[in-house]
Amino acid sequence: MPETTVSEILAQHPFTHDLDQEERKALAGLATVRTYEPDDLLIREGRAADTFFVIVDGLVAIEMFLPDRGVRRLQTVEAGDVVGWSWIVPPYRWEFDVRALARTTAVVLDAARLRELLDRDEHLATRLFQKLLLVVAARLSATRLQLLDIYAPPAEVGR
Amino acid sequence: MRESVAAAVPADPFLPTAFAVTRVQRETGDTATIALRPPDGDGFVFQPGQFNMLYLFGVGEVPISVSGASDRSDAVEHTIRSVGTVTRGLTVLRPGDWVGLRGPFGRGWPLDEAKGRDLVIVAGGLGLAPLRPAIRHVLAHRADYRHVAVLYGTRTPADLLFRRELERWRGRLDWDVLVTVDRADPTWRGNIGVVPRLIGQVERVLEPANTVAFLCGPEIMMRFTERELRQRGIPPERIYLSLERNMKCAIAMCGHCQYGPLFICKDGPVFPYSQIEFLFEVREI
Ligand SMILES: Cc1cc2nc3c(=O)[nH]c(=O)nc-3n(C[C@H](O)[C@H](O)[C@H](O)COP(=O)(O)OP(=O)(O)OC[C@H]3O[C@@H](n4cnc5c(N)ncnc54)[C@H](O)[C@@H]3O)c2cc1C
Repeated sequence: MPETTVSEILAQHPFTHDLDQEERKALAGLATVRTYEPDDLLIREGRAADTFFVIVDGLVAIEMFLPDRGVRRLQTVEAGDVVGWSWIVPPYRWEFDVRALARTTAVVLDAARLRELLDRDEHLATRLFQKLLLVVAARLSATRLQLLDIYAPPAEVGR
Repeated sequence: MRESVAAAVPADPFLPTAFAVTRVQRETGDTATIALRPPDGDGFVFQPGQFNMLYLFGVGEVPISVSGASDRSDAVEHTIRSVGTVTRGLTVLRPGDWVGLRGPFGRGWPLDEAKGRDLVIVAGGLGLAPLRPAIRHVLAHRADYRHVAVLYGTRTPADLLFRRELERWRGRLDWDVLVTVDRADPTWRGNIGVVPRLIGQVERVLEPANTVAFLCGPEIMMRFTERELRQRGIPPERIYLSLERNMKCAIAMCGHCQYGPLFICKDGPVFPYSQIEFLFEVREI
């Protein structure tokens, strides 16, 4: 897909729409658009975290495989959001699986080149990290609420 | 004997009227919807969001929201989760049994204020029950409202209330109905996560300054949801939530549900967030 098209997609996406046009172009230069079918894995735990996913359409789930209990689906992430930040923190390895639940389209950025770009471009790095921090904070807060198990029957509360 | 109990229509607001149980529908493991028929055959008039005091003879009385008017009869429906003595007894009633009823009480959802505006309805768990009459009203008068979104979260897929109706709602193209659960096994193909997160999926079609929100669910869920809505520019005086803190008399006399100037039974249970913000800070209730 030509860079201009990726740039246009990023211009519409809530995560990137307010970056400067030049910044979006730079990101588009590291990106391809990919489509995943239901059940395809976008991310596999333990592998190198070499990509950053901007979800354009569809629905993906963050999962963990437990040897004794099988797949545990923890949270879903939908169009308009982003997935994967292990590429920011050494040792750059995925900590969870991410699987498409529906047909999903994502802008997939090459994380090694993105890290280099952010090393060179402090302004873009600041903006992108601020945005990622908001995403991480929102997800942490949602995870905490989920942990509280607020709909549990009174008899089970505190167990 | 039954007839004479049913015929007595008391004028005293403390005296319940006997309603006959006409139908009991199990919704989930611990929740059932019971339909109650008034004795006079006139039907039961209520506003969406109002509640009744249901008296289980010889056991006790509890406030329960009206969750609907039955399609096939003039009965009034209540969706009850078994959490203690009275609610347990109410969920195991059978058709033909009797329940004492006082009501309807309280102020319901401001459906008029939402007219001509975008409307976001956010329900958590059993919170869908008091909202169902409002949702049905909106559907029956769909043209009166602009964009409408119904966001509903429960613990697991097995805890979804009103399943068949929910599926019908989801099939309509003139509004958004999004469902999420806190946990699910891999057979569930939908959203997993808490209900406030669904707001992000509909925010692009809403005009915040012109949006009204109705919230009902556990208080902590409403607190998180209200924050998300305000962060997006929806004014606190247009965020309404139903406060279901406990009460006794339901007519603003006993003071059991009084917080400062407000009686939940009479001034609520539905309040604009701006009016009860202070209550969210009160920890001992
Ligand atoms: C305006 C209003 C509307 C309500 N609508 C509904 C409804 O539509 N369906 C429904 O199932 N319930 C509803 N409730 C809650 C219901 O009234 C209580 O669950 C009930 O009073 C509990 O009585 P009990 O004798 O069964 O349990 P109890 O033995 O009195 O209590 C059992 C457990 O339930 C908890 N509990 C008691 N009251 C409440 C409450 N208000 N909220 C949360 N936990 C409580 C107690 O802390 C205790 O842990 C509503 C409450 C109010 C104030």
